[in-house]
Amino acid sequence: MAASKPSADASSNIPDYEYAEVNTKPFHIGSFRNEWLKRLKPGDFSFQLEDEETFDANFARELRVDAETMAEIKSICSLDSLRCHPEDQQPDTNVVPDDPTLKTLIQRKKRQDYRATLKTPKNRHDLFTDELERAAIGKNPETVTNMIAEGELLLTVNVYYPPVVEKFQYVRPHMTLLMTGSHSLAELRDAICCVSDLQVCGEFSNTPDIAPDFISKDHFKSAFFFFEGIFYNDMRYPECQDISMTTIEWAKTHNFPTFSQAKMEDTRFADLKVKVGFPYLYCHQGDCEHLVIITDIRLMHTSDCLDKRLYPLLTHKHRVLTKKCAVCHVYIGRWFTTNDQFAPSNPCLFCDKCFRLLHYDAQGKKLGDFLAYPYVDRGAFN
Amino acid sequence: MDTPQKLVKTDCEEILHRFQQQESVRFEIFSKIWREMKFSEIFYGLPAQHEKRKFSRLILDTACSYLLPPYSFQIRVGGLYLLYSLYRCQTFSPPEQIRVALKDWEYVEKFEKDALEAKHLDVVYILHQLMCFKAFHFTAMPTLLTFQKKRQKEKPRLCEGFIERASRPQELINIELLEELSNIHDIYGKLKTSASLMSEDAPTPVNLTHKDLIPKLRSTVVDFYTWQQKRIESDEEDYSGEGTSSQQESSKRAEKLAAIKSRAFGQATEAAKSRRHRQVEVDLTSNQAGPSNSSGHTRLSKPSLKVRTNENLHISSDLWKEATATTKISRLTALDFVPEEKPKKNYRKSNKKVKTAKEST
Ligand SMILES: [Zn+2]
Ligand SMILES: [Zn+2]
Repeated sequence: MAASKPSADASSNIPDYEYAEVNTKPFHIGSFRNEWLKRLKPGDFSFQLEDEETFDANFARELRVDAETMAEIKSICSLDSLRCHPEDQQPDTNVVPDDPTLKTLIQRKKRQDYRATLKTPKNRHDLFTDELERAAIGKNPETVTNMIAEGELLLTVNVYYPPVVEKFQYVRPHMTLLMTGSHSLAELRDAICCVSDLQVCGEFSNTPDIAPDFISKDHFKSAFFFFEGIFYNDMRYPECQDISMTTIEWAKTHNFPTFSQAKMEDTRFADLKVKVGFPYLYCHQGDCEHLVIITDIRLMHTSDCLDKRLYPLLTHKHRVLTKKCAVCHVYIGRWFTTNDQFAPSNPCLFCDKCFRLLHYDAQGKKLGDFLAYPYVDRGAFN
Repeated sequence: MDTPQKLVKTDCEEILHRFQQQESVRFEIFSKIWREMKFSEIFYGLPAQHEKRKFSRLILDTACSYLLPPYSFQIRVGGLYLLYSLYRCQTFSPPEQIRVALKDWEYVEKFEKDALEAKHLDVVYILHQLMCFKAFHFTAMPTLLTFQKKRQKEKPRLCEGFIERASRPQELINIELLEELSNIHDIYGKLKTSASLMSEDAPTPVNLTHKDLIPKLRSTVVDFYTWQQKRIESDEEDYSGEGTSSQQESSKRAEKLAAIKSRAFGQATEAAKSRRHRQVEVDLTSNQAGPSNSSGHTRLSKPSLKVRTNENLHISSDLWKEATATTKISRLTALDFVPEEKPKKNYRKSNKKVKTAKEST
């Protein structure tokens, strides 16, 4: 099942840098988890919060502290001892206080004053980021069966868009997904939204209603991930092919280190041996290639989303501007036509509604001469 | 303009510096400085939720480094107090967590053990409180890694003044030890002479002791100390730029550091007594180079990944062309590039974009 085996040497499962602050050396994810669990008490990673009395009692017992000393420590270390404003005045935490002395605040004040001169409302991007933030935080399921187990791993996975345009080297648009250590690579695959899966190839001016039946995703199901010398192929459906074979054979004849294969549906993240921060590959639709970087692995925390059903959890998605319909300028383009006598340009982009109103009569009969191709906007997933 | 990273670091080092000057490991002292500096306000003035989180992330990551070696015990206590205070003063809920990497956990455990042994109840209490609040994320690495190689990134600077100077040689080879050693040496020598006197015809006894062991040992330690002092001096000069008066100050500071440490650990030995040998006059010409580990960080520079890939991959030009040529699908799936920062401008251009896109299809 698992293609990579945990290393017997414990220290090799303690992640360390290969290149400082860039990426780690390879380590086995499941064994990394075990190393943490070995060092911690179950209470340390439990989702239950310990109440104050239990904590005090334990502390006093463990350190053999009498009640008087305990009360003293508690008062010294209380939150009150850190309060920087009079007790009866609640400051407005959304503004920088006057006459700050901290360097951070001096600069923030300058920026705040500058912003005030602009009088711009909160921009849409900010709002959207806030929205995703809220979606990601602290969701608990009603039933225990949907609850994530304590000590489970949480992985942050970035999937990048195909780097075709030069500008990609500076901006790196991607989506960010949260996965658990028990998820299979097939589950990651299903969570990746890429427009190439939605492409429909062909001309449908005579039969626009059947176009959705020809979505690429349903026709070309093969795909693979590549991590540390192993191709993980999607073999869930009879139509699936091992599309990594070509590369493996090529590598053999070109004096490369040998690669091996495994099934993505049989491989959990906990079974993988990877480098954190290192770019790997996801390939689907034959040649649509995405870089995949596992940017973080850690133990699940009580404030994380603990509802199994909400994973894989999307926490970031690059927004692209959509191309709008040439007629209404409101809706996203769904069709483009060529040799079209009704169109202002050749080719021309239409939303579904305008396309049908303009090119078909009430009975759905094609009017005039034109060719129509389904169009999938890059912003379709926004 | 300074980066937020730099400013946050400056603020953290300022509070730790003030704490260091107080020569204390008490939370009471730390919280007093915190209030004086109005450090809670560092979270103020960030209205957007994601800005708040981003800033918390930054300052917790920054503060976390002071909890770990190579910083001195006192600074690490300050680092712990700083983390605790920052964690508790975040202005939103749930708060951001403190990230601790698996490789660093042993240092936290050792730190707790030291604090426990020295009976620093407030240190242990605060650490246990953080565990109780579930304030830690138990992670693979200290930060998220995105294979971002920054162009000429500034090397993270360690705050020299916070680093613990090695003082073990001085502590071990103190004046009492030297006296004791010298006594034993004498007694042994006398015993041996008396033994050889008793049997006159015996062969000359094997010489197992170094005659000048004690003076040699002492001068070695003195050499080390002198070398260390010189390093502190030169660091100080780099730091403050005023060379003449720093000599005295720096040795004073070193004494202070050592004193804090021994006090921090509640050691019975008096620092001044155990360091009596330092006052011995020093031959300045001896062994200027000092211990050999002075070279600091030397890193082998490996060629970049790109270079290594190109070296490993010999692709004939035709193949390469084929590989880089885009297919229809990949062109369809490629994003077109609209920087997100200026949505207004782009909005007006979007009609034109449709046209160009159409022409290309
Ligand atoms: Zn794709
Ligand atoms: Zn329309």
